Amino acid sequence: MTASFDGDDLHVTAPQLHFLSGKSLSRLQDGAAVTFLSQLTIFGDNRGTVWRHAHERLTVSYDVWEEKFSVVLGSANRRVSRLTATAAEAWCLDNLAISALGLSPERPFWLRLELRTADPKDLSTLMGDPGISISGLIEIFSRKPGAGDEPWMLNAGPLRLSGLPRTLGHGTRKG
Amino acid sequence: MRLPWLACLVFGSVLTPTLLTAGNEDPELNVNSRYTVETVIVSGDGWSTNLAADHDQKISSGLRSEITALIGSKLNPAVLDDLAVRLRREFQARAVNHRLLRGTTPESVRVVFEITQKPARFDVSVPKFLYANRQGWTGAVESTTTVHHNAFTVGLVSDGDDLAERYTGLLARYENTRLGTDRVHLRFDFDDYHEQWNGATRTDLAVPPDETSGIYRSRRNYEPAVIFVLARPLTLSVGASFQSFQEETPGTPVGAANAVVSRLDYQHRMEDSDYRQGIDAGYSLRAGTRVLGSDFAYARQRLNFRYTLTHGKHVLKEEVQAGLLTGRAPLFERYVGGNSTVMRGWDKYEINPFGGNRIVANSVDYRYGIFQVFYDTGAVWDAGQAAPIRHSVGIGLRQASLFLAIAFPLREGRADPVFLMGMNY
Repeated sequence: MTASFDGDDLHVTAPQLHFLSGKSLSRLQDGAAVTFLSQLTIFGDNRGTVWRHAHERLTVSYDVWEEKFSVVLGSANRRVSRLTATAAEAWCLDNLAISALGLSPERPFWLRLELRTADPKDLSTLMGDPGISISGLIEIFSRKPGAGDEPWMLNAGPLRLSGLPRTLGHGTRKG
Repeated sequence: MRLPWLACLVFGSVLTPTLLTAGNEDPELNVNSRYTVETVIVSGDGWSTNLAADHDQKISSGLRSEITALIGSKLNPAVLDDLAVRLRREFQARAVNHRLLRGTTPESVRVVFEITQKPARFDVSVPKFLYANRQGWTGAVESTTTVHHNAFTVGLVSDGDDLAERYTGLLARYENTRLGTDRVHLRFDFDDYHEQWNGATRTDLAVPPDETSGIYRSRRNYEPAVIFVLARPLTLSVGASFQSFQEETPGTPVGAANAVVSRLDYQHRMEDSDYRQGIDAGYSLRAGTRVLGSDFAYARQRLNFRYTLTHGKHVLKEEVQAGLLTGRAPLFERYVGGNSTVMRGWDKYEINPFGGNRIVANSVDYRYGIFQVFYDTGAVWDAGQAAPIRHSVGIGLRQASLFLAIAFPLREGRADPVFLMGMNY
């Protein structure tokens, strides 16, 4: 994973990360939408002290006629269609960002990207007539990931803002 | 909680208004929601049905209507999720997944629901339960264990309604619903009953007539059969029944009524937005033959036809039955009227204490919501004798399989009503 800085936010690229694969890809090709939950974390030291988190939700679907992917970022405020799997993965990562506000240019920091699928069934089990199911939440977060549904985690660091490639401002900023 | 950030996101996700109103999946998030559903296919272990063309009975009427309503409308993934959950409940399945396939025309998709059954299931059912003030209680309870395509059933029954006798005992059944193909089933029935007889029947059979057996105290039946699904609504069952019975007279040898049995059934359902129609027709033949070592040689034929029309709360049902029994047949093969299904309101022991070898019966039911009225007519008689046609009317309440009714025989003089209460009749 490599990082870049646009003057406000940090962005990541990870050409080797292919999360549109395995069980998620099967579900997509069956016509279902798959939601991925991401988290970018800045650590102030060697993965010990959390400086900042940024979360995002990415919903991917696969057009059964065009055989292309479509991605909706967050609550449908940004979307893109007709992408190949690789292009969709790149667009997703390109639109993840975390604010570097308050981070001094020469201070070393570490960056972690985590990505995980959110099973629609899990979302449904959380919501019932009486409201949110706490037992459902406990069950989801206690569950070991199934085959092909593993969380992805990438790390980079130590990094310094002054040493990162500069890019034009883009993407969303969270955190 | 190992991933608190994930909890925050999930909370955030499910609490957004779109997800709250759209179920599991917001249609706006799935690019395929712009396509029109061309057809819906539901498939299980070795079977499948195209909802646009087939009307088989695997899926309940209400759920089938809702699934069929998808056809022609834009795809709504959230609705697919809900229907998958309902199919899973209805089939008691391990999982129901759905997937999309390209339709035959551009911009259309086919929806396929795939049902994965649990490797083993256990069910307890009450296939019949009845109280009639003249005949007393009738009931049966069965438990079925299903392992893949094999169903093993054991049950207890005490039935004072179907026949001239009350038979009480146990039944066991094995059924394989896929003998190489889902169009061929194998079935094996075993029944072991003890009989009780009404005083009127005993009196009339003090000297058994030539055309039937004497009173027996027990009987046992082994009945293997193969069922062929000829076409989706048409099935043919062919098998044999090896039935032995012990007459009450001491020293009487065990009697045997071994027969070739066959049955042809036809079921058809037609639905549109306002009306639902159903046709159920069947023909059965039981031929006792000495080739199988039977002490009785006979041919028992029965024909039944039922038409049901449903429009909103209105349900109209017309049912016709006819039967012909030739040769010398044991008592349990004879036709009975004046029970809970044929000529309701009459007392079977009064009109035919040991049944007849001819039957013609008609029944018209009209229901509005839970209210029911019916008119029955028919005759049960023996060949060469007069065939008195009897009529009866009744009113009642019916909710799903439960019913409560009172039926009156139409005759001169005092009309003793029959009170009926039960389920699955």
